Amino acid sequence: MISRAICEAVLHKAVSTGADYAEIFAENTLDHSINMVAGKVESVNDAVIAGAGIRVYKGLRSVMATTTDTTESGLLRCAQRAAEALGQGAAEIDICLHERLYGDIHPVRIVPSTVSNQSKIDVLKEGCFAAKEYSDAIKQVTGTLLDVDHNILIASSEGLYAQDRQIRTRLMIQAVAEKNGETQTGAARPGRRMGMEMFEHEVNAREAGIHAAKQAITMAGAGYCPAGVMPVAIGNGFGGVIFHEACGHSLEATSVAYGMSQFTGKLGQQIANPKVTAVDDGTIPNAWGSINIDDEGTPAQKNILIEKGILKSYMIDKFNGRRMGMPSTGNARRQSYAFTTTSRMTNTYIAEGEDNNDDIIASIEYGLFAKEMGGGSVNPVTGAFNFAVNEGYMIRNGKICEPVRGAALVGTGSEVIQNIDMVGTQLDMGQGMCGSSSGSIPTNVGQPLIRVSSITVGGR
Amino acid sequence: MDFNAFKQAVIAAAKAQGVDEYELYYQSGETTSVGVFNHEINEFSSSVSGGVCFRCIVGGHMGYASTEDLSEASAQSLVARAAANAAVLETSEQEFLGEGGKTYEPLDLHPYELPTTEELVDTVLKGEQAVLSADPAVAEGSSASARTSKRVIAIANSKGLDLHYENNTATFSVEAVVTDGTEMANDYKSKSGPFAELDLAELVKEPVEGAKAQLGAGVAPTGSYPVVFAPKAMAGLLRTFSTVFSGETVQRGLSRMGGKEGETVAAPIVTLVDDPFYPESQMPINFDAEGSPAHKKNVVENGKLVTLLYNLKTAAAAGKETTGNAAKASYNATVTVQPFTFYLAPGDLTEEDLLKKAGNGVYINSLGGMHAGANVVSGDFSLQSAGFLIENGEKTRSVKSFTVAGNFYTLLQQITAISDKVELPGFGGISAVGSPAVLVEGLTIAGK
Repeated sequence: MISRAICEAVLHKAVSTGADYAEIFAENTLDHSINMVAGKVESVNDAVIAGAGIRVYKGLRSVMATTTDTTESGLLRCAQRAAEALGQGAAEIDICLHERLYGDIHPVRIVPSTVSNQSKIDVLKEGCFAAKEYSDAIKQVTGTLLDVDHNILIASSEGLYAQDRQIRTRLMIQAVAEKNGETQTGAARPGRRMGMEMFEHEVNAREAGIHAAKQAITMAGAGYCPAGVMPVAIGNGFGGVIFHEACGHSLEATSVAYGMSQFTGKLGQQIANPKVTAVDDGTIPNAWGSINIDDEGTPAQKNILIEKGILKSYMIDKFNGRRMGMPSTGNARRQSYAFTTTSRMTNTYIAEGEDNNDDIIASIEYGLFAKEMGGGSVNPVTGAFNFAVNEGYMIRNGKICEPVRGAALVGTGSEVIQNIDMVGTQLDMGQGMCGSSSGSIPTNVGQPLIRVSSITVGGR
Repeated sequence: MDFNAFKQAVIAAAKAQGVDEYELYYQSGETTSVGVFNHEINEFSSSVSGGVCFRCIVGGHMGYASTEDLSEASAQSLVARAAANAAVLETSEQEFLGEGGKTYEPLDLHPYELPTTEELVDTVLKGEQAVLSADPAVAEGSSASARTSKRVIAIANSKGLDLHYENNTATFSVEAVVTDGTEMANDYKSKSGPFAELDLAELVKEPVEGAKAQLGAGVAPTGSYPVVFAPKAMAGLLRTFSTVFSGETVQRGLSRMGGKEGETVAAPIVTLVDDPFYPESQMPINFDAEGSPAHKKNVVENGKLVTLLYNLKTAAAAGKETTGNAAKASYNATVTVQPFTFYLAPGDLTEEDLLKKAGNGVYINSLGGMHAGANVVSGDFSLQSAGFLIENGEKTRSVKSFTVAGNFYTLLQQITAISDKVELPGFGGISAVGSPAVLVEGLTIAGK
């Protein structure tokens, strides 16, 4: 990519009007996707995303300029724009870059761009056909296999010159089932920060297809979820979206630094039920939300956010860290060079507890078992969150009963994390794309089976 | 190199590689944005972005590839990648490159001069001051931002199509954060247009009042009530479910509107319009993503489905003409089908009339979690809501953290009254959705 000498020259230009920090983030990404509809390969698309973003700081001011022209002259012009926007002044810092090598904790054995379209289609077909053939009730199956080869270079006035290559692969299958004129959907979306070897031992395409088909059929035969306030058991894996939405976003410096979070100023305080220990860990080998270094070049870390209910850490990037007077926690992330970096989650989960899964279900006289969650969203200012239940069942007298559809859970983050009063033992992760001001990024959510003692269930 | 030079390089590469049916779609943007916090400009960004999507028909199939790297080497690989992607496709529907229309409706863009960087900075500082001084309940953390955007779209293909579009916009946004000492609430407002016409003091009133109204909110009771959706809430719902009117969604068996053209799908007072030239649209445009002329049409008229939306491929598969609704989610996405400005036509009642008609019920001001709580295939939705109780025909206390649940296909039939003023919330680029306030009977509210 861009040489150290060019980066030095560009950073010199960027700090020429008195910035106290300057950074180049350059990117060359190949996105590749294959889509199948009704058993046929419908489209294949690939996109090269290439450009650079240059940021300069002075105190609590930040300026970013981006360009798709990554030649030396293009970068110098971009740095000039950033420097001019910062204001007038003279250079106050010198630039001397040293290359830094980080170990790769997410090895990739089969780089997707070296695999033929046909081999990828074979995998996609295995998943889609397994879903279609599962039952006559399956009326439609759509599938996508996507892979991303994201090459980044970060050089900063602090002397850093580092590169990383982030490869991700994901299979997404959606099945539509029809029963008595009612259509419902089911889905499976496994992904990893690895190459095509994902399908050798981590993810079975056929199982993913069957999972989507089973869920669609179960939901097509289900009645509507009743509405009201009740206890809810939330399944492991993607169920962890509850922590991600209800609490995770409100612990990001992008909200906390501006006082725009319910948890600003609460470090060391009991904010959650003592049963809750929550972690953000970007270092889990090959996990979907993992990174070697974040998008400011800080190595990924394992951060304990909440320990036995007590708030221990926020998720912080360098710029917002300045306002908070705290160092980066390795959480600076951006979708691409075109977005301004901010603090984001990586792999965020509620750690395993000590409650037996059977005891959790048995403890609920009348409530909902949210076996699989859909996505959700939150307003960090108010903490008001929502998420959808993709596969739910009623619980009566401690037993899982009939499936119900159309359920959503809503509440306020600070309340719901007090109400997580049982935590099971089998931690699992689910994959999602998280959207926020710095774009759409891959994140894992996770948890064991948990009980929320009381929450509003939207149904009808 | 610039787009025109790159275009020639790609055309030469296509010729050399034996690809003779192709199209280039170019999009570029220049954006400048400024944000303020605590009376100081804390964020400034100036971005230049853009890329080229190349697609070609090889062996009857359409392959795609795109790039932001406009270099000679990139031109060669772009053509090769698209051709390789076409080679593995298995669809049987015929693919088309647009030949364009004989005529395009004239565009009335009302161009205005974009604010300079100094004017952007000045406006956000004044905007922040306006929101902070609007009301004693407004908290530090309230913020303002402003952006200018210059956008270029060009399409050129081997059938001789050669179209070009340019548009500039300036937008001011404000976020009001209010507190009563125990809780916080926020609301937003954006306005696009010449900054000289901005009345900041007036503009900040709506988000400040909107945020204040949320403070001290109670919980709605659980049950089935008449619901009045505020324009922005209804527009959000329409945006989410607008895909059910796409010919592509229908042909994939993912919409229940299939085979319903000419049939009643909504209450007789419902007319849904798609208008590429809607006066308040920030990006009126007279051609679609395949270069076909864009035009205004009723999708649903007095409750009857007049037409689905089509592009060249889905129209041919349905034995119809394109409605000029080819679209791209981004320049590097494959062509799909989407409305331009899609809106529910206004009725003749005021919002107050709707409340009176509702009698006792719930007014929903905002909806959340559309991407998760709404299933576009089944039409089912269960969505986080905030708003007010309606008691004896008037908005009374505010309520939050409840859900409204129903089914979009049924909801179209359950609309019993429509207000007289369409609002177009947000800033949607080419695609935007608007609505008046509507009264809907028979939805379920889940609260306490």
